[in-house]
Amino acid sequence: MTRIALGATEIRKSYGSVLANQGISLSVGPGEIHAVVGENGAGKSTLMRVLQGIERPDSGHVTVMDRDVSFAGPADALAEGIGMVHQEFMLAPDLSLLENLVLGDEPLRWGRGAFALIDWQSAEAQGRGLAERIGIEVDWHRRAGAAPVHIQQFVEIIRLLRRGSRILILDEPTAVLAPQQVNELFDLVRRIREDGTAILFISHKIGEVMALADRVTVIRQGKIAFSAAVAETSGEEIASHIVDGSNPVGGEIRRGTPGPVVLDVAGLSAEAVEKSHPLHDISFAVHSGEIVGLAGVAGNGQVELMEALSGLRQAKGRVELAGIDLGGLDAERRRAAGMGYISPDRRHEGLAIDASIEENAIAGSHRASPISNGLWVDRGAMKRVALERLNRLSVKYGALRDPVASLSGGNQQRVVFARETAGSPQLLLVSQPTRGVDLNGIAAIHSILRDFRDADGAVLLVSEELDELQMLSDRIMVMAQGRIVGALDADADRREIGRLMVMEGVGA
Amino acid sequence: MIEQILASGVVLTTPILLAAIGGLVNRQAGIVNIALEGKMLVGAFVAIVISAATGSWLVATLAAALVSMVIGYGFSLTITRLGANMITAGLGLNVLAAGAIGFLMSYAYGSSGTLRLPDVALLPHVFPQSVESVPVVGQLLAHLDPLTILAVLAIAVLPFLLGATRFGLWIRATGNAAPVMLAVGLKPKLLQEASTAFAGFFAGLAGAQLALASIGIFNEGLTAGRGFIALAAFYFGRDRPWQTAAACLLFGLLDAAQIRMQTVGLPPRLIGALPYLMVLVALVVSQMRSLRRTQ
Repeated sequence: MTRIALGATEIRKSYGSVLANQGISLSVGPGEIHAVVGENGAGKSTLMRVLQGIERPDSGHVTVMDRDVSFAGPADALAEGIGMVHQEFMLAPDLSLLENLVLGDEPLRWGRGAFALIDWQSAEAQGRGLAERIGIEVDWHRRAGAAPVHIQQFVEIIRLLRRGSRILILDEPTAVLAPQQVNELFDLVRRIREDGTAILFISHKIGEVMALADRVTVIRQGKIAFSAAVAETSGEEIASHIVDGSNPVGGEIRRGTPGPVVLDVAGLSAEAVEKSHPLHDISFAVHSGEIVGLAGVAGNGQVELMEALSGLRQAKGRVELAGIDLGGLDAERRRAAGMGYISPDRRHEGLAIDASIEENAIAGSHRASPISNGLWVDRGAMKRVALERLNRLSVKYGALRDPVASLSGGNQQRVVFARETAGSPQLLLVSQPTRGVDLNGIAAIHSILRDFRDADGAVLLVSEELDELQMLSDRIMVMAQGRIVGALDADADRREIGRLMVMEGVGA
Repeated sequence: MIEQILASGVVLTTPILLAAIGGLVNRQAGIVNIALEGKMLVGAFVAIVISAATGSWLVATLAAALVSMVIGYGFSLTITRLGANMITAGLGLNVLAAGAIGFLMSYAYGSSGTLRLPDVALLPHVFPQSVESVPVVGQLLAHLDPLTILAVLAIAVLPFLLGATRFGLWIRATGNAAPVMLAVGLKPKLLQEASTAFAGFFAGLAGAQLALASIGIFNEGLTAGRGFIALAAFYFGRDRPWQTAAACLLFGLLDAAQIRMQTVGLPPRLIGALPYLMVLVALVVSQMRSLRRTQ
């Protein structure tokens, strides 16, 4: 009888002077789900890299199926049955799901070597068998990139099981999923557990840990801060260990005092981004000194609405900012009219991720005085402006010339806020501001938003985190299938918000 | 008239098609092969020299293909192992091939621009001259050479090779998502190298066909941008074999038509630009198509 499916004993690993893992021990048994939680930079990723054979620990050892092992590389870990489900899925988008399933281990009909013929029938039979075993349905002939995200994730899990993985490491698997998809994933993970598979579940979300895991370990600053059976602890206790006793998410609930209308939208409609919903006849107003939260299941038109308002997407209808008609104005002119935009895609749209912190902090202001005289960029002025902006929001960084990618998620987002609030805009369009940000970073971003509101700014906030919306907003609008289906007080019953979020048949 | 355009159109299609076959496999593996032109030129040069030396079109054709294959493989190493930019490296190879051939011609043969060698064995015709009496396609059949048949066969088996064999799956996966190949324990760089060698082999065949199909004389301008037209063809055909072949045939027929039209009195330079203009149109159209798909 195997007692330890995958174990780490006294793992130490340092990068230069950074002690990423300082003697971490944990283990997961067959048929057990063990959650590993901690802030970004706590040392979770390093530990996972050691368990996958990507990094060799400075000291300590790894145990697989009650045997001590040492990995020369990731292939060794794979051969020992350790499978990793990545945050960014490892499927080739233009191949079919079936082709992705068998890639690298194809069932053969004829011949050997590279030119052997693949037996697609038996491949599909295997796929069906595995999908049935874990209780899901997959259209195997679909192009991977066109399949829903949770199906892509399931196929990746099935691929690992097919190749004999008895230990699965799930790295924040719910980050990209809608609530219903999360439930499906959890059902699937529980069925895999019943088969005796050991599961390490890495997460940020305490609610998910409580719902799914058998055991939980908190890592803080490279050490084990806490470990317990989930049945014997509480969400509050776990949260307090993650942030070392301080109140996890920023402070008391404050409401603003709304003033005159800043953003006035009437009859806005726009076409949809792939797999999402087009906008139908949207009308609402945002006043100065208030945060209006926009709730909804991902892909119900939130992205389209924010892009239409910021000038990134063509739309019909009337949009006025403090009485100025924005119709036909592009993003640059809209910004000039007093609008800031926090993109949900920080790495691609919010920041030029490989450019320096300094350049990101001043981007957009580089065309005009004081940074540019129309011909040359004044480097001194550029540095002065960047420093002033970064200091105002106390962004922590090494050097101005470092790439912005070197910052943590929270500090990256602070750079975005520093830039977007620099021209004292009247309106901030904010989308998923705390995605991929750790708890302390979340608190800081929330207080930036509140301060902006309290200085008579208007904020339209889109978030998939209901907690966040209810804590920050003065009122909440719910979006479903490209329409605004309801408006509520911020402290409305959560079940009521949920009911509106899943409204079907309001016309598509 | 139609018969002649058809016959010469197919002869003119073959080198573009052969090069495009290699290029499309290469691109499916994630490498845009700008250097088809240079490798075709090398193939044509080698084919003439070897054909004159051995008197065998078969030996000459194989030699052309193998030399281009080796060059293609070496070219891929600069990209996969040394991290060269594939466009820059490809342009460099084109310039290098043209320069090296010019040097060899003047150094070894004392000629500049054009190389005439005695006893060059041309590609044979597959069918006896009597098929010329068949209506419409008679001319075409009479001029059919083995490399044209090889090109058509290759187009016919490519969908199967790419779709049903491990190698085909790996090639497609490499071009689509190389990190996924690594994650499942395969080596994407090896596949990129193999596919570039394959492209070199076919570009060599294309050069041999160009040199040995009718004239048997090497000229520095022999390829005349056909490597780039092949590039446009597989872009336009979105790396799919039959669509790419159709694009090649369109370019070949246009080329044949413009030669004919020159005799009718239209300005020859203007008409000569037609195939290249078509390439431009083809690329704009295919780009617009893919833009519309992503929006």
